[in-house]
Amino acid sequence: MTPEKIDQLFDYVQERCLWQFFSRAWDREENIDGILKAAAALLTGQPPALETPMDRLFYADAKVMVSDLRERFPWIEDSGAAQIRDLLHGLKDKLTDFTITRSLNHELNHTLY
Amino acid sequence: MPMVLLQCDKDIPEREKHIYLKVDGEDSRDYLPVANASTIPGTLSERGCAFCGAKLVIGGVLKDTIQMIHGPIGCAYDTWHTKRYPSDNGHFQMKYVWSTDMKESHIVFGGEKRLEKSMHEAFDEMPEIKRMIVYTTCPTALIGDDIKAVAKKVMEARPDVDIFTCECPGFAGVSQSKGHHVLNIGWVNEKVGTVEPEITSKYTMNFIGDYNIQGDSELLQQYWDKLGIQVIAHFTGNANYDDLRSMHRAQLNVVNCARSAGYIANELKKKYGIPRLDIDSWGFNYMAEGIRKISAFFGIEEKGEALIAEEYAKWKPKLDWYKERLRGTKMAIWTGGPRLWHWTKSVEDDLGVQVVAMSSKFGHQEDFEKVIARGQAGTYYIDDGNELEFFEIIDLVKPDVIFTGPRVGELVKKLHIPYVNGHAYHNGPYMGFEGFVNLARDMYNAIYNPLLKLAATDPRGALTTPAKEAAE
Repeated sequence: MTPEKIDQLFDYVQERCLWQFFSRAWDREENIDGILKAAAALLTGQPPALETPMDRLFYADAKVMVSDLRERFPWIEDSGAAQIRDLLHGLKDKLTDFTITRSLNHELNHTLY
Repeated sequence: MPMVLLQCDKDIPEREKHIYLKVDGEDSRDYLPVANASTIPGTLSERGCAFCGAKLVIGGVLKDTIQMIHGPIGCAYDTWHTKRYPSDNGHFQMKYVWSTDMKESHIVFGGEKRLEKSMHEAFDEMPEIKRMIVYTTCPTALIGDDIKAVAKKVMEARPDVDIFTCECPGFAGVSQSKGHHVLNIGWVNEKVGTVEPEITSKYTMNFIGDYNIQGDSELLQQYWDKLGIQVIAHFTGNANYDDLRSMHRAQLNVVNCARSAGYIANELKKKYGIPRLDIDSWGFNYMAEGIRKISAFFGIEEKGEALIAEEYAKWKPKLDWYKERLRGTKMAIWTGGPRLWHWTKSVEDDLGVQVVAMSSKFGHQEDFEKVIARGQAGTYYIDDGNELEFFEIIDLVKPDVIFTGPRVGELVKKLHIPYVNGHAYHNGPYMGFEGFVNLARDMYNAIYNPLLKLAATDPRGALTTPAKEAAE
């Protein structure tokens, strides 16, 4: 795992993915967890969970993301399962830092929508 | 450096917190414009009011509903017809406007009786219409007219009608954004779940935050029909009142305008467990991505790919014709909020256009997070911009075309800069594949229009009487 590779994934997500910017911190956390988990399954050849409506939502977002990542970053195909999990873990940390922990958005923690 | 105090704002330095210049190496953890905050005294905001956000943007789009505006006549006219959202039933909602036409005596003695009379009059005049939204406005809210009680009385007298009340006077919030919020939350609390829809497909969704601007919803509906997906409710483009009462039965909420309608998607997820999928409906690349995600959710990927291939075959050559001619164009987007982040990357990727300045009237910080993540460095990101700021920004970034509303559009036309109506469009629809070609065509026509150069040439030369601007 290299920080440069995590940065590449992060830049892609920032530019393309609306799910990281949902209204409240808990929504963002739920999306980041769910979609990156589904993406990890797809990238490592595991069957993604499809049991619940939320599972299928995460799968739909992850499927497009994984397809784009494979096209933009060919090195991802050469990464092993452990390396992919590390990369996505690094991505998750960075997304959480940007969009939740250190976000300057004052509305993130309102108790109501 | 990244937060910018413009020269014209030297006497209102608070504006610095609202204007951001993106610089490489910085991000939204360092700087994020203040947004959804009260307009600063001294600045000439071009925002609308909270009532406008509820009525003009969302409620007024419904095609089978009387929009009873309880207030002075101007509140009705100023939120009628300025946004072109047609419907497939003959544009009922654009042909008529309803108001209680409150005058001084009604304000002094109370307006509830007048409201009740107006509601009955409207239903009597339009006996085929059985649905109504009643809105308070500033004066009727201030005098405390109880519109819910009046609506209840009218519904008791007319058992076949259903009435929704929206208590959102103009002063309720800092901009039209508050009106979006009040209508969203009121609707989900009072009306969703009160009608059971007929289910005609194994795939059902709500499409949220499309307002059928010049036919956007009707164009996208062709896609959903081809995919075999039943749209239970469009919120609210080309929609019936009762469609929106049935939203609880959809399997998926697809959200386009997250600013005006993200609230109801969030509430539907919380109350009914319906997942929220945000997509961009403007742009080829984005539209294809949205179709892929929806198809993946329902497990109908092959149908989705076939639809995308068909649309690309039909429209991509036309888009590319415009792209060749628009590449390198500098564009400014001064609209409500979400179109900043919907458009900045789509015009860049699909048309080779560079967005150099963006201003939002009512966006929240969430919208600025999105647009700063997607937008370029060297671009200005402005919250609640005023006219003097627009002129100064124009000098700084020299846009070739400005997408904005008709009021600001008239201003920039005097500078001989082409403008395209970014709210109601010039010749839409703009959503979907065909729509984005329409957008490209309007941008091309605006930029290459020879009349602007002609208008900038004054054959009278030095003979003209100089006219000074008030500020000079």
